[in-house]
Amino acid sequence: MIGGELIIDNVSKDFDSVRVLRNANLKIKPGEFFSLLGPSGCGKTTLLRIIAGFEYPTEGAVYLDGKNIINKSPNNRHVNTVFQNYALFPHLSVFENVAFSMRLKKESNEKIRKKVTEYLALVKLEEHVKKMPSQLSGGQKQRVAIARALINEPSVLLLDEPLSALDAKLRQQLLIELDAIHDEIGITFIYVTHDQQEALSVSDRIAVMDRAEILQVGTPFEIYENPANLFIANFIGETNNIKGTVKNVDDDIITIETDSFGDFKIFKDKEVSIGDTVKVTIRPEKIRISRERPTDTDLPINVLTGRIDELIYSGFQTKYYVTLDVNGVTFKVFKQHIKYFMDDTPFSWKENVLIWWYAKDSFLIEVK
Amino acid sequence: MKKNYGQIYTLPLTLWLTVFFTIPILIIVAISFFKKGLYGGVEFKLSLDAYKALFNPLFLKTLTSTLFISVITTIFIIIFAIPSAYYIARSKKKDFWIFLIIIPFWTNFLIRIYAWIAILGNNGLVNNILIKLGVIENYVQFLYNQWSVITVLTYVSLPFAILPLYSTIEKFDFSLLEAARDLGASKAQSIYKVLLPNIKSGITTAILFTFIPTFGNYAVPQIIGGKDSVMVGTIIARELTVMRNWPLASSISVALTIMTTIGVLLFSNFNKSKTEELRELKRGIK
Ligand SMILES: Nc1ncnc2c1ncn2[C@@H]1O[C@H](COP(=O)(O)OP(=O)(O)OP(=O)(O)O)[C@@H](O)[C@H]1O
Ligand SMILES: [Mg+2]
Repeated sequence: MIGGELIIDNVSKDFDSVRVLRNANLKIKPGEFFSLLGPSGCGKTTLLRIIAGFEYPTEGAVYLDGKNIINKSPNNRHVNTVFQNYALFPHLSVFENVAFSMRLKKESNEKIRKKVTEYLALVKLEEHVKKMPSQLSGGQKQRVAIARALINEPSVLLLDEPLSALDAKLRQQLLIELDAIHDEIGITFIYVTHDQQEALSVSDRIAVMDRAEILQVGTPFEIYENPANLFIANFIGETNNIKGTVKNVDDDIITIETDSFGDFKIFKDKEVSIGDTVKVTIRPEKIRISRERPTDTDLPINVLTGRIDELIYSGFQTKYYVTLDVNGVTFKVFKQHIKYFMDDTPFSWKENVLIWWYAKDSFLIEVK
Repeated sequence: MKKNYGQIYTLPLTLWLTVFFTIPILIIVAISFFKKGLYGGVEFKLSLDAYKALFNPLFLKTLTSTLFISVITTIFIIIFAIPSAYYIARSKKKDFWIFLIIIPFWTNFLIRIYAWIAILGNNGLVNNILIKLGVIENYVQFLYNQWSVITVLTYVSLPFAILPLYSTIEKFDFSLLEAARDLGASKAQSIYKVLLPNIKSGITTAILFTFIPTFGNYAVPQIIGGKDSVMVGTIIARELTVMRNWPLASSISVALTIMTTIGVLLFSNFNKSKTEELRELKRGIK
């Protein structure tokens, strides 16, 4: 199968004169696994429903393989949806649910039986063909919904938070399977989620949305390592935010002065001039925690002293909340445990420690 | 122990049903087997006369026409009730519409039927409007035939179909219709293939709630009907009050009750057998 190319061209949507989607522009490549990520109520479902044909955009157009489809009814679009609440037909068996679209096309029984069996195998549900939806577990229901949507051979599959009703383990497993199905059939997937971990782990690209707007589009790496603004930096994973003014600009290092803990250095990846107010973010896993100053590096680093205020051990890592000596600023520091029995003598609560990070690991987000 | 408690709890209900339901029916059954008294009432002599009279071709003809009127009326009602109930269930002003449907019950049943004479009568609203518009020159006789009876019976029972249908449709998950559209169904197909099968229990209730009272109705054919629309209910009333043939009125009632009961049993069994089949199927898989 060949995936469709989908272009969202300046789409806006009003509900009762409230704008719930503002000038959305996206170009989704054929066969791409594309995620829409954003907090609840930001307009993800609305955008998906406009693509599926259940809502009509107030402004803008949607092109599927070059043709504007906004005036086509949902049954005439080469797009299928996996609904958040599964929306399986309760009066039909698993087999008949999956066969629904083929029955509408009046395909022969033989053809239907073959193809339904094939798609139920794809989602690993062969044994449950004769069950009614009410007899299935949540994960099984979602598999039926996926098979039912895929059997229609859409060029774009829309998935609206398909895993949100499942428990964490199952979610992980189905996510991997979904990724495998995507690789196998090769059509375009548009995946709506508010779970950043989900989006990061399977997507080719992600669009981050907030309050009716698309804020950034990029690969998971770009979104995580180079967020376009503070909202994204905080929404995608955890981070430490620092506010300050530019004090000195060298060839590739900027010195920033803060009100709270003096100066620190960061790598120069944006043009700034002395006196600018800037916001900087540093991811907690990029900060090291130690008892002595690091001596084995020539690269520019920032070192601060503080005390462990809180310590959360969670198996593969420990989260430290370190409050600086100079004033009440608290830094989050995540330490991965790559060796059995900790990496050295464990740090303890209320212990005085050093935290440090490489200047190139933090980055400028906003310049004013 | 439990059993005894159950019987005690249901005692008031059992008493109520016995006194006001079972005993009257037994009295009717008993009367039907006696001889007709001269001025109403009965002579206490056993007789099957009243049942023999049922095989009178005139009565059988009335029975057929009653059946015809009831079936057509029920079909009309269901055709009107499903879209109305659907509309109400999806509307933002549900309470308002339900209120409108219940309002007519505040007016006496007979008065509401007489109101139809004002609407459909020779000098009634519809005729006057049509004449004013020049569609017709002289009044048209709408009343006193089968179709006027069907119209008014439809009006009378419509709420009894809309209300159970509304309560079923309200529980229906409308996103299923979107799922159907998404999978290639037209609007009509999504209604036919997804909505209707899922509100079957409501449709069954609506049919029973409208067919049974229509089948036994006598006021409407009496007031609105003509020669071609005599219904079994009319005959019962006439035999009881005018002809003073209590046994015949009773035997007709008994026949009516038996037919309705058999009908209901067959109908609900037909519906159940499908559900049963499904259940069997499920068991087979496990
Ligand atoms: N039919 C509607 N009528 C009025 N407002 C609506 C309608 N559908 C959605 N909205 C509003 O539009 C906004 C966006 O809703 P949408 O369902 O797209 O959010 P979402 O990003 O999918 O959120 P969630 O993650 O909670 O599903 C919300 O504020 C919602 O209240
Ligand atoms: Mg949503």
